[in-house]
Amino acid sequence: MNWGVALVSMLPEHVLLVGLVVLLLAEVASGRNRDGFAVAFVTVAAAAAAACMLFSAGLVASPFPGHFFAGPTTLMPKIAVLALTLPVLLLSRDDFADTRYYALVISSLYGACFVISSSSFLTLFLGIEIMSLPVYVLVLLAFLRAESTEAALKYLVLGGTATAMLLMGASFLYGWSGSLGIEAFRSAVTSTDPLAVAGVVMVVVALFVKAAVVPFHAWAPDAYEGASVPVTAYMATVIKAGVLFAALRLFGPKAPSAPLTVLLAALPLVSMVWGNLAAIRQTSFRRMIAYSSIAHAGYLFYAFLGAGPGRYQAIVFYVVAYGVMNVLAFAVLPRGIDDTRQDHLDVLKGLFHRRPYAALTIAAAMLSLAGLPPLPGFVAKFLIFRNVLAAGYTTYAVLGLVASYLGIYFYLRVIQYMFMSAEEPMAVRGRPRRLALAASLLCLVPAILLSFFPGWLLDQL
Amino acid sequence: MADSTLLNLVLWLPVLGMAGIAVLPKGNDSAVRSLSLVLMLVQLALTAVLYLHFDPNVSGLQFATRRPWIAAWGVDYSIGLDGINVLLVALTAFLGPLVVAGAFSAIQKDVKLFYAMVLFIQFAMLGTFVAQDLFLFYVFWEAMLIPMFLIIGIWGGERRIYATLKFVLYTAFGSILMLAALIYLVYSMHRTNGAMSFGFTALYAKSLPLETQMWLLAAFALSFAIKVPMVPLHTWLPDAHVEAPTTGSVILAGVLLKMGTYGFMKLGFPLFPDATRAFAPALMTLSVISIVYGACLALVQTDIKKVIAYSSISHLGYVMLGLVSLDLVGIQGAILQMVSHGLVAGGLFLMVGMIYERCHTRDIAAYGGLAKLLPVFSVFFTILTLASIGLPTTSGFAGEFMALLGAFNAAWPLHEAGYNLPLVLAVVAVSGVVLGALYMLWLAQRMLFGPVKAPHQPFPDLNARERTILIVLVAAIFAIGLYPQEPLRKTELGAREYQQLVLRTHTTANHPESDE
Repeated sequence: MNWGVALVSMLPEHVLLVGLVVLLLAEVASGRNRDGFAVAFVTVAAAAAAACMLFSAGLVASPFPGHFFAGPTTLMPKIAVLALTLPVLLLSRDDFADTRYYALVISSLYGACFVISSSSFLTLFLGIEIMSLPVYVLVLLAFLRAESTEAALKYLVLGGTATAMLLMGASFLYGWSGSLGIEAFRSAVTSTDPLAVAGVVMVVVALFVKAAVVPFHAWAPDAYEGASVPVTAYMATVIKAGVLFAALRLFGPKAPSAPLTVLLAALPLVSMVWGNLAAIRQTSFRRMIAYSSIAHAGYLFYAFLGAGPGRYQAIVFYVVAYGVMNVLAFAVLPRGIDDTRQDHLDVLKGLFHRRPYAALTIAAAMLSLAGLPPLPGFVAKFLIFRNVLAAGYTTYAVLGLVASYLGIYFYLRVIQYMFMSAEEPMAVRGRPRRLALAASLLCLVPAILLSFFPGWLLDQL
Repeated sequence: MADSTLLNLVLWLPVLGMAGIAVLPKGNDSAVRSLSLVLMLVQLALTAVLYLHFDPNVSGLQFATRRPWIAAWGVDYSIGLDGINVLLVALTAFLGPLVVAGAFSAIQKDVKLFYAMVLFIQFAMLGTFVAQDLFLFYVFWEAMLIPMFLIIGIWGGERRIYATLKFVLYTAFGSILMLAALIYLVYSMHRTNGAMSFGFTALYAKSLPLETQMWLLAAFALSFAIKVPMVPLHTWLPDAHVEAPTTGSVILAGVLLKMGTYGFMKLGFPLFPDATRAFAPALMTLSVISIVYGACLALVQTDIKKVIAYSSISHLGYVMLGLVSLDLVGIQGAILQMVSHGLVAGGLFLMVGMIYERCHTRDIAAYGGLAKLLPVFSVFFTILTLASIGLPTTSGFAGEFMALLGAFNAAWPLHEAGYNLPLVLAVVAVSGVVLGALYMLWLAQRMLFGPVKAPHQPFPDLNARERTILIVLVAAIFAIGLYPQEPLRKTELGAREYQQLVLRTHTTANHPESDE
């Protein structure tokens, strides 16, 4: 084992680890509660910069051969995940000033980076657990309300089930191939051997649970609603991204076998339809976003129908566009939505007249999530359905597009409330978050770039 | 090079205006209004230069720009003027200042956002017309939804939310299927010859089996037919028109509806010529149903705006009829009718807005004898009524007459060959002219003549701003009506190219790339 290679190629992970240690030691050394924001922000920014550096250097390395891979296709997702965390951290500033919150976020990010680089079920499993475990606590950290406890517990139980399924699937695949490497999964994907299919299905279902694909979605609305806004933003972007990148690592560019295709098309399709229809009924903004994320998980898994490098492109672009726009919306939300009892879409009524910048930004985010051009969500949707069509699944593509049409209504309703409804006398007039402007600008710049120059990112993929 | 800069400038000027409005301080409404007006006038002036320098004897694109946009997919930022879109670009630019000036007194709420949205939709409409790349076209096409959604939804009437959601959900449904079809189209080309281009010319050269063409045309046609709108996909239009503020109605009737017919002309029919010819009888039947049914519905309305809304369905039926006839005269008539309808219906909606601002009702029964109360208003209303009917010397006559003539030209040889449907349809379409005269004259008679009746009196006649707007409009209507050769000269080559594209057979033969 070459320590030099391990030191350089895992630089983003090392930076996160060092930051985490500094964060914890500083608290222990000073013997009092310290504000961990600055250290956390610098750590994540440095890790993102490190990943950028390695990416532009064109690094390709396997520090732990067969377990960990660092190359352009894993560094780009890492950059995305780390960079998306920066605005989330800015949002957290108002709600969390203690070390433990930031320590948990950094641990979770560390896990996400491991997931992205994993080359075997060992590292994949470790990564997914390191990524998810802190989030169970993060959900609970909100305001210590009854809802948060319930949400965290549901999330924990379902997350645990998914973990068990993942392990079961991995052991099936190990029994089938005698290997824990992801190559075992990739060859199992095209195999029709019952053991291989059973293993693959279990792993895929575990990922479906983690990404909240119907019918394994029940935890998401409660968790999204019960957590505090920054944690919801973190779950909707980084965790979802992590799970999709895990799937991307597992599948690689391989086309799934016919029976698997049905699974990969049917459940995501149901997810799109159900997510978009159920979102219409929601009166809580965050529950609505949860159902929207269920639909988006459907679009994302649709990318696995087509084979080839287009899948990687589509998923990375989608995750970035989706994450940026989601965080953007959360960044400028009125504070009232933080409180579950006041988290009602009515809070948004007349927002344009109170805070035009916030209303316009949320409107852009909603239109992007709805997939309307010229916003990045459109290019993302285009990439997904391009792959599905290019792979020859015309019917699935048309059904998926029609399902995405079902979602337009509830996104437009948010705009309708903000722009077209008279101001609610009950509307909460809380101050915006202190760093909301910084966080939203951090999202707005890439959002504009992705809108008008999508090629800028696509050329890197 | 300098030429292409000019067209880019015309296109992007509204975006510049939006940026300007965004930085203007809050509450300075008059500055927002003047900025928008000045911008639209500059845009009109530049467009006039473009129009005058547009060489009718050159085939293909003029003032063209083509740069890679998303290189990985072969998507270009490709814009240009040709014989088909030159008049529509001119129409859009011409209506721009009138729309802005027409809203000066009516819009007092959220003025900044309003003019930003008007400029945004102007940008999106111009972009849709000049785009020469399917991806770019789709982006502009969909981008029109957002400002219109807000314009109807914020500044509209009582049932504005219902109307605007209906408008967006109808049009978005068509677009989503068009998206599926366009991706399929581009990738099927990619599969057969490895080329990856969204450019119109490259796609024209593509050969497809008839059945595929039919599916794809159906998807495109659904999107375009909703926008035109053709019966039975028209039900969003009356709601949108009635609830929209005057500006929204003028933009809708003036330019937005032409997107549908333009889409058919630029994309739907030339991309899938064999399917078009196979569908021609059905399309022709639907056009004639739109003409007659729209006119019949216009006849029984009690709301002035609804009369004009349904008349739009009828008038755009002629455009479709002319396009489907594939006769040169008919095609030219269709283009002319698009422009004429934009001016006439736009003008009529402006006038409805003017009377509404004074009396706050659009109920026809509430008015009577306005000729005595508002002589100037009545003169203009009469002129626009006659233009809508298609009286000779107005633009409406030239367009409708030529479209009908085209339908007869195409139908006659078929009739002699023993196939009578087109001829029957053409004859039925003529009845739309009679019905048109009936509902418009009846509307004018009830409003302008008879015993004097108005919700409350007195109210002032048209002011200088309103008169200027109408004089300009009426002048344009007469100019086209008296001298249709000038616009027709610009479009002749474009119409011919369209005709050739749709008449060619290309189900089997593999045509070489004409684009590269």
